[in-house]
Amino acid sequence: MTSIRSSGVATTARPRAGEDPVLSSPLDSRLRGNERIKAARTFLLRHPGIVRLGAVVVILLVWEIAARFFMDPMFISPPSRVFASLGRVLHTAGVPDALQLTFFELAVGFAIAVAIGLPLGLAIGLQPFARRSLMPIVLLVYGMPKITILPLFILFFGIGPESKIAFGVAHGVFPIIITIVAGVQNLKPILLVSARSMGASRWQMLRWVIFPHMIPSFFAGMRLGMSGVLLGVLLAELYVSTAGIGYFTTMFTENFQPTKLFGLIAMLAAMAIALNEMVRRAEHRFNRWR
Amino acid sequence: MSTGEIAIRIKNVGHQFGEAGEARHVRALTDTSLDVVRGELLCLIGPSGCGKSTLLNVIGGLLAPTGGTVEVAGKPVRGPMPGDIAYVFQESALFPWNTVDENIRLGMRFQGVPKSEHAGRAEKSLEAVGLAEFADHYPGQLSGGMRQRAALARALALQTGILLMDEPFGALDEQTRMILGEDLSVLLARTEKTIVFVTHSLGEAVFLADRVAVFSARPGTVKKLIRVDEPHPRNPAFVTSEKFTALRNELYDLLHDEIRAAVASEAPRRRRGANGGAP
Repeated sequence: MTSIRSSGVATTARPRAGEDPVLSSPLDSRLRGNERIKAARTFLLRHPGIVRLGAVVVILLVWEIAARFFMDPMFISPPSRVFASLGRVLHTAGVPDALQLTFFELAVGFAIAVAIGLPLGLAIGLQPFARRSLMPIVLLVYGMPKITILPLFILFFGIGPESKIAFGVAHGVFPIIITIVAGVQNLKPILLVSARSMGASRWQMLRWVIFPHMIPSFFAGMRLGMSGVLLGVLLAELYVSTAGIGYFTTMFTENFQPTKLFGLIAMLAAMAIALNEMVRRAEHRFNRWR
Repeated sequence: MSTGEIAIRIKNVGHQFGEAGEARHVRALTDTSLDVVRGELLCLIGPSGCGKSTLLNVIGGLLAPTGGTVEVAGKPVRGPMPGDIAYVFQESALFPWNTVDENIRLGMRFQGVPKSEHAGRAEKSLEAVGLAEFADHYPGQLSGGMRQRAALARALALQTGILLMDEPFGALDEQTRMILGEDLSVLLARTEKTIVFVTHSLGEAVFLADRVAVFSARPGTVKKLIRVDEPHPRNPAFVTSEKFTALRNELYDLLHDEIRAAVASEAPRRRRGANGGAP
């Protein structure tokens, strides 16, 4: 900021400097330099994507250098090697099945979380009495670190996919309920009154007033629910499992295979980003009026 | 204007919020009787809290009064009567996620108009309020005045005999208000609707109304009815006429005492609250 200001001052000083030919030329070139910096600055400010990309590149570079020259290859692997190994990881016996299984658990867990969270959120949010009586319980359970009762989930649902799905639902359902309750509450009462005055039935009010109003919070809840389910499923898989991505991350870590570990995590991240992006796209389509 | 036929019969209507003895107990309206003639525009004016809007909501069936009855077209009002009564509210009650056109169609869908009539009626009512070019705009893209025009178009498309307007121009600036008032007068001269119009503005009341019902301070009731004998559509020149000024002054005198009384009745309430907090 200050450098740009001082260049402004220098511009007003230019005519005087022009009287002295010896002084004028270096000052001119310095000025041109300043202007170039200024232009680059405005260009970058208009393109945040470039800065974002730059930040990622810097992190990857630091990681690459650190992993190659300073750290124990037993514990960490440079990103270039991770990237190159992606194909190999995918062909490790059991990994495709593990990805498929985790994806299945994620999808089922998410579907259940939405199927429970949406109606429950609506019911609690639309009834002031239900909100006052039940919402504190929802917030309490939401705030409780559920990892502490993970062993109970294993006890109830076994070590198969069921316990992972259940634990995923336990993490995903509360953010959905809470965002939907919050979303229903900020509906302007006048909209319901006006719908009623025009003869709308209860179902019509739900369909044409409450649902459209809820779409933003519904999608926000879906996104939060999705990351909740992902967290729950992976935590359960890490804790105890015989298959799934969690099983392989544990195995790769314990066998000192960081390349494969990071490769697997990269795939997982891609999966999460793809799912999130799908939700975001769908949301965008419904939000044209904003 | 009137064939003398009664469109809305209000008999001894009173309303209180909460039960007697409760902290939030308010007697908003007491023993109010009033007949609204078919085709007339009746303005309700009075100090804030006098129960004008309460009465409007009782007529519209949005609120069941604690006393008295309202009859619309000979039938007692027990709930919303979308076939007979349409509403225009003070704040924008348009659905923000629908375009103006969709809003109007949705109103007709709620009312139960056959779908084949939607397009024609929507177009006609948009033209009537001068918004034909803005059919595909979202409410968020319109000015406050245009939003209220759109709300009026939605109400007109319902083709009810009665229109209830609760300070429809209350949130608008003086100039927009004036123009909308003039346009409304022109529009109403054609439609022959029965209109009950709540307002705070003396000028608006005189300019638009065939009769003005002046309310007393809370608990409100009709203190006086003033007739404005001036054919619709009203000319902008009417505002500067002596007749207008005289009527406006009469309203002012009537209201002034009531507003003082309303403020005075608010004051001890507030003081009592302050004492209650002290040890």
